Amino acid sequence: MADQADFERDALQYNRQLYSAAMRMTRNSADAEDLVQETYLKAYRAYHTFMEGTNLKAWLYRILTNTYINKYRKDSRRPNEVDLGTVEDLYLYRRIGSEASAEASRTTEERVLDGLVESDIKEAVEELPETFRMPVLLADLEGFSYKEIAEILDIPIGTVMSRLHRGRKAMQKRLWEFAKERGLLPEEAEKP
Amino acid sequence: MSNECDDNRSAGCDEALENLYLYLDSELDSVTSERIRSHLDDCHGCVHSFEFEKRLKSVVKERLDEEVPEVFVERLRTALAREAATDTK
Repeated sequence: MADQADFERDALQYNRQLYSAAMRMTRNSADAEDLVQETYLKAYRAYHTFMEGTNLKAWLYRILTNTYINKYRKDSRRPNEVDLGTVEDLYLYRRIGSEASAEASRTTEERVLDGLVESDIKEAVEELPETFRMPVLLADLEGFSYKEIAEILDIPIGTVMSRLHRGRKAMQKRLWEFAKERGLLPEEAEKP
Repeated sequence: MSNECDDNRSAGCDEALENLYLYLDSELDSVTSERIRSHLDDCHGCVHSFEFEKRLKSVVKERLDEEVPEVFVERLRTALAREAATDTK
């Protein structure tokens, strides 16, 4: 059992990660701060139930996610599916490749990866329905394993994998649109 | 499509592309992972797509990272201290 006296030392180091995830969940800093604070207070009160030596970061994320779902979620009526139509795997990569010759596609890849700004990536993630956003955040922002994500979200590993797959595809589709809007693609770049 | 290995696509390419994310997420067993790694040593087309996805993954991570406002961290410490003080009363 963990000792509450050690809580600040052990748990506070994750505040940056929790805050980054909370920002993408709530989409604004005031709610993100409240969500993170509430998560820490709940975690502190329950710290005596935390088994030392197990995964503290995942435990904090579980509390963060549940708190968000129970209290802050405002978009439960938003669609919970993504329309992927004909979106193929490696969507962004393949679209870039179909636009240019082999040498040119390398240049375009660089330009796209460098040219997509923070707000593009954030928007692409925030626009994902929650069902898909959570696994993407946990995997790509936090680097949790599929097993850890399954435990945090309380869903089977197979579901984690399919949601992550669909979520990443939908994100790439959006990033492709941003790349076009920003003129990062060859023919767009030539326009005056 | 100019950035793929369509001309010389092999069973090794199929396996690699099918497992691309599992590989990048370190979710494959060591035997499969090793087999894919050795395929990547020989296949420019696959290595190119793997490198792109790997970079995209790190670009996403990097650009999602938020700076935490210092005043907020202070508020957090104060809230925890207050909670601890209530406990010992």
